[in-house]
Amino acid sequence: MSSTDTSHAGEILDRIQHHKGVRGVIVVNSDSMSVRSTLDNSATVQYIGMAKTLTTMSRSLVRDINPQDDLAILRVRTKKSEIIIAPERTADDREYQVIAIQDYE
Amino acid sequence: MTVQEEDSPELLDFLLRVYPAVMAELDKSTRSHAFDGYEVDWEESSNSVQCLHTLSHAALEEKLEVTCLSWNPTGAVLAVAYGRYDHQDWCTHKSSLCTWNLDRRSLNANKADLAIDIPSCVMSIAFHPIIPSLILAGTFNGAVYVYDIGKEDDTLIASSGVGENSHKDPISQVMWLNDPASKDKKFKIMSAGGDGKILIWRLSQSSKNLKLLSGFVVQTDSIPRNLRVSKARGDSLVGVTCLSFSHEDKTTFVAGSEGGGVFKCSTNATTTATSEDIQSVPVHSPVTFAFHPYLGPIHSVCCSPHHRNLFLTAGTDTLRLYNMLQLMPSLTIEPSCGYLYSVRWSYTRPVVFAVACGNGKVLLYDLKANRINPVMTLDGCSKGSSIFTAEFNPSRKYLLASGNGRGEVKVWKLNDDLVSHKPRDQDILESLAVLHVD
Repeated sequence: MSSTDTSHAGEILDRIQHHKGVRGVIVVNSDSMSVRSTLDNSATVQYIGMAKTLTTMSRSLVRDINPQDDLAILRVRTKKSEIIIAPERTADDREYQVIAIQDYE
Repeated sequence: MTVQEEDSPELLDFLLRVYPAVMAELDKSTRSHAFDGYEVDWEESSNSVQCLHTLSHAALEEKLEVTCLSWNPTGAVLAVAYGRYDHQDWCTHKSSLCTWNLDRRSLNANKADLAIDIPSCVMSIAFHPIIPSLILAGTFNGAVYVYDIGKEDDTLIASSGVGENSHKDPISQVMWLNDPASKDKKFKIMSAGGDGKILIWRLSQSSKNLKLLSGFVVQTDSIPRNLRVSKARGDSLVGVTCLSFSHEDKTTFVAGSEGGGVFKCSTNATTTATSEDIQSVPVHSPVTFAFHPYLGPIHSVCCSPHHRNLFLTAGTDTLRLYNMLQLMPSLTIEPSCGYLYSVRWSYTRPVVFAVACGNGKVLLYDLKANRINPVMTLDGCSKGSSIFTAEFNPSRKYLLASGNGRGEVKVWKLNDDLVSHKPRDQDILESLAVLHVD
């Protein structure tokens, strides 16, 4: 199934959420607020804060090496889980993010 | 925090764009074998041994020596016993049992977190192997105390008292006793003294007095005639200076004596003995085998945690590695560092051990690398005072503590070489344990 079939944001998130091992998905809008989250409030806020710092650092690193390049996906491996961050910066410098937390079996 | 807004077309666009990428990454992550079998070493690796802390209790004004150290089972708290070894007559020292919690953010190196005043020199201490707040102390005047350092006030929970049924000489070692094979699951207390007695006590919930369960006496009779150094009478008592239990057989222990004797003993011994002092409980002679003796006092014995028969002894200026099944030592080392006061096996590497020396050094031996010389020499006292005790941390394998004659305790962080298990370590230990049949 191609992604264009999903017309609704909720549906897309559902699919990510039901992927193997995924514990939670968070969508962050340009004001660093979560628009959708399947985690509880405090965890959501924690992940958003962490993701923001990490993406800012990683992006500046990527850009420093090559100004034409940009950060596409950031994967953080921890002892218990893998955190996948997909950031996107729009032309007018606003940033959206999808954060998915995946536990290993 | 979650803002429920109408899905803006912008957001939907974004989601549609990143969705395939996120799904692809999630897929990759579940299928990835990149980290299979990968174990992170969370400690930074280093080649040098660092002194992390130098602890002293300023209130004691360097008048007392560190006689014994004990780590609690969590590995965070270090207890230090203060006393003196050079008594000419009665002990009139005001002594202390001090504890430091190394996890505390505001660690004060000059003042202990807790200092318990004890009216006589403390000669030996031992934390309970499971309950982190219970600690035993044995004193110069022969009393055994049990403290609960978790309590706000009145930390003393039991004592043996001095007098009938107790030690009449300084206590040389106290320890907790647990024999998983016995029916009694409760921990008992064992104390050994210069009066040749090894007593077993029970802690009761209701009473502040330790209850004497049984006793052992080590007598000259236990030593075969050809191994006797002195011409003492057969029933004269042999002062016990140190004990160490076998790690596999919890009824077997090794004892060292003031006269240089090294004995294999059993808590199941049935040979009855007589002691003038102890009338209320049965008294046995614990000795089952006598090893080739030293010509001076034994200061320390330590059974190997990785081999059922090997144990180390430190006495006068000589280290010996004995096999429990053999009269003569398997290995003798003379470090020429003055008297050797303490020897301890590493918990993690079977061939590594630490020795506390009279010249202020702590020697670390690695029998795989060198059987004659230490692989590392630590400066346990900058002013050359003796090191009386050294203890590995049983749960934090990188830590070693040493205590010196000026009342200072140093906590060392060992390097990977001395800590991480190496292939063939066990083989080398086995080869040292091979019996020599003459």
